[in-house]
Amino acid sequence: MKILDIALNDFTRSVRSLFAIGMMVVAPLVITGLIYVAFSGAGSENSDLPIIQVGIVNLDQVPADVPVALGKTLADMYFDESVAGYIQPKIYPGEASVRSAINNQEIQAAVIIPAGMTAALMANQSVPPVRILQDPTLTIGPMVVKNMAQSLLDGIYGGSIAVQVHRQRFAVHGIAENSINLQSIIHDYEGWFTAFQRELFHSPQAALVLVTPQSAGEEAPSADPMAGILGQIMTGQMIFFAFFTGAYSMQSILKEQEEGTLARLFTTPTPRLTILGGKFLAVVFTVCGQGLVLLLVGRLLFKVQWGTPTSVLLTMLGQVASATGLGVLLISFVKHERQAGPVIGGGLTALGMLGGLFTVGMQMPEAFTRLANFIPQGWVLHAWRLSLNGAPSAEVFTTCLILVGMGATMFAIGGLRFNRRFA
Amino acid sequence: MRILDIAIKDLQQILRDRRAFLFIVAMPLVFTFFMGFAYRSMSQAPDPRLPIGLVDQDAGGELSQALGEGLAQAESFRLEAISAEQAENAVRSGKLAAALVVPPGFTRSVLAGTESQLELVVDPFSNRGQSVMEMVRPLVMHLYSSVEIAEMSLRAVESHIPFSSEVARQQELLAAFDTSWRAWDTSSEQGIAVEQVTSPPQAAHAEPFAGNPYNQASPGILVMFTLFGLITSATLLVQERRARTLQRMLTTALHTWEIMAGHLLAMFTLVLLQGLLLVVFGQLALGVNYLRQPLGVLLVMVSLAAWASALGLLIGTVAKGDEQVIVIAMISMFLLSALGGTWFPLEGAGRAFAAVGRLTPTAWAMTGFQNLLVRGLSFESTLLPFAIQLAYALGIFALAAWQFRRQAN
Repeated sequence: MKILDIALNDFTRSVRSLFAIGMMVVAPLVITGLIYVAFSGAGSENSDLPIIQVGIVNLDQVPADVPVALGKTLADMYFDESVAGYIQPKIYPGEASVRSAINNQEIQAAVIIPAGMTAALMANQSVPPVRILQDPTLTIGPMVVKNMAQSLLDGIYGGSIAVQVHRQRFAVHGIAENSINLQSIIHDYEGWFTAFQRELFHSPQAALVLVTPQSAGEEAPSADPMAGILGQIMTGQMIFFAFFTGAYSMQSILKEQEEGTLARLFTTPTPRLTILGGKFLAVVFTVCGQGLVLLLVGRLLFKVQWGTPTSVLLTMLGQVASATGLGVLLISFVKHERQAGPVIGGGLTALGMLGGLFTVGMQMPEAFTRLANFIPQGWVLHAWRLSLNGAPSAEVFTTCLILVGMGATMFAIGGLRFNRRFA
Repeated sequence: MRILDIAIKDLQQILRDRRAFLFIVAMPLVFTFFMGFAYRSMSQAPDPRLPIGLVDQDAGGELSQALGEGLAQAESFRLEAISAEQAENAVRSGKLAAALVVPPGFTRSVLAGTESQLELVVDPFSNRGQSVMEMVRPLVMHLYSSVEIAEMSLRAVESHIPFSSEVARQQELLAAFDTSWRAWDTSSEQGIAVEQVTSPPQAAHAEPFAGNPYNQASPGILVMFTLFGLITSATLLVQERRARTLQRMLTTALHTWEIMAGHLLAMFTLVLLQGLLLVVFGQLALGVNYLRQPLGVLLVMVSLAAWASALGLLIGTVAKGDEQVIVIAMISMFLLSALGGTWFPLEGAGRAFAAVGRLTPTAWAMTGFQNLLVRGLSFESTLLPFAIQLAYALGIFALAAWQFRRQAN
């Protein structure tokens, strides 16, 4: 029971500290929460992305008697009511003026419609490209502007291709070219293309069904893209701060050593092994408690689907074992509290980087990925990824075994060092 | 001279602490290098093409063959033929960025006008997955468009010359499809040209961040760690108050404003030196051209150091202990870094978040750096960011001074 008393005493001290709570729970939640607040509107149908200011330069001037003006059609698309919620267009006289407006950050992108566009298309000649100029610090806004232009041009080119195909097939079959009804072909194609685009807008899966990889028989990963992204980000943060908690909680042994309370404890009839065991157990309690709080808040607040109960339990076990083991090992090398800050801050940040905690979602080079296999944080991240993706429990179990093995080894080395130090 | 003495004393005290080296120098350098390496590895991999698998269950089908050819010819993809069983595992393990599954009888069904859907096995949350989705969709659109055009052409030809058999009709449909598909292939190469506007125009790049990913990573981490470095200097103020050195100083002929100015000067010097070190590292090791407009860079850094040191002073006066300094400094760092766009560009954030973010001093510091490094603008473009950051510095300093005087009294 003494071992439990010591563990509970240390655990209570940890959770009473404002600093500990800040670093163990508030910091990972603040980071994930900030990203949640930042992107919570993105990806939804009523996208909340900032308004994109677009400059339009229409150099495609056609005589008044020509019924089609493709440049004007393209320019008008940006003034359409349906895009008024996120596009704010403005007409500019020429390229120099839009360049200047981009440099002054008055607009984020510009569409330059080339001279002679309609004439070239009508004559079935090569059409000079529509140019999109963009602020080099941006990607999303200019991409939306480009996709809008692309969608209209696809319709125009499609109509042109339809005419070409008709001409070619009529020639093959010896049908007179003058029997081709150009207006009708373009009209029919436009009708089909508009309906196709509308269907894609309302149901993007109409042409291409997206399948998220998962294993049969397991719970499907989150269908909400935001929850999926947040799950990955929060996993990285949770692992980093779990290892921080492991080391920080173990730091209490140094504090007690410096304050002399540890020496006093050793004078009591309680065996040293029980005292040290109690301190180690407190670290396990703290890492467990922190993990549970973060999992719960992640589920309730950010709707993260962590995986099946079995996978989550196994992964948590691996996380607690390895974070506690590394914490004991790291602090066993530290002589006094002043040394602990740089060792915990520097050591865990470096290991977190190499373990891939700060680059979740990024495709890193092969060598880097291999290096993560030698780092406990890399294995915990791997285990959580399996769980989040709904991998079979057997696969998670193997990873958990590796983590428990790593944790036990580090714990044994650290424990031996402490035992020797206080012998 | 008294102000200088206090500043020198503070600096000596901070620099004697080995932790200062870690937080002020080592960590920002390692982070800059690491994040730039991460961005660079994505854009400069030995084979930057995205590996995509094709599960062709429509063996011999003309449409699936066309799709296969389209994927093989696309510059962005490295095509691999795989089985349906391998597809999900290969995508989940990251071996493939995605796998396109063509269902059995796809060609026959589509040409007959019955429903048959292509499947894209992809992780839609990953960068690679999103890139693949963006690039595969036009290909699929061209495929369906070609089928539609072929059917239109078939009906038109048929209205003049009826086909002798269903086989002849099908052959005509496929021939028209082939002509249309190849025409799309040529058309998709023209159409739209995208240009990143940099100044002067001849320095234009096709890639974002003026072709160097460190142009975003280096100033982003410089701004973020400027705030992180405040932990060391703000702690000093707390220790001074707790050890009652401050009270002792107040009994001397020193004025309160002199003590504050001394501390502020020390923090300002430290932040500026840290920034300069990161600038030199960025210039020499990462190829970020800070020296293109040295005066502009200096203006941004001086104003950044001004408000950051004022914030350090405020944290030092508000916090009651070392641990509170760390918590307040870190929360300020997280909030200001995220809101100011040092972690991710604000254009991807929600409207309200971006609007608030653009008001922060971090966002103005980033704008100043980006104007010079990415947009290639002149030194004048840093005047507005400089003025706004300086206004922030004055505001924060006024708050810190009020709190400091309250404590001194």
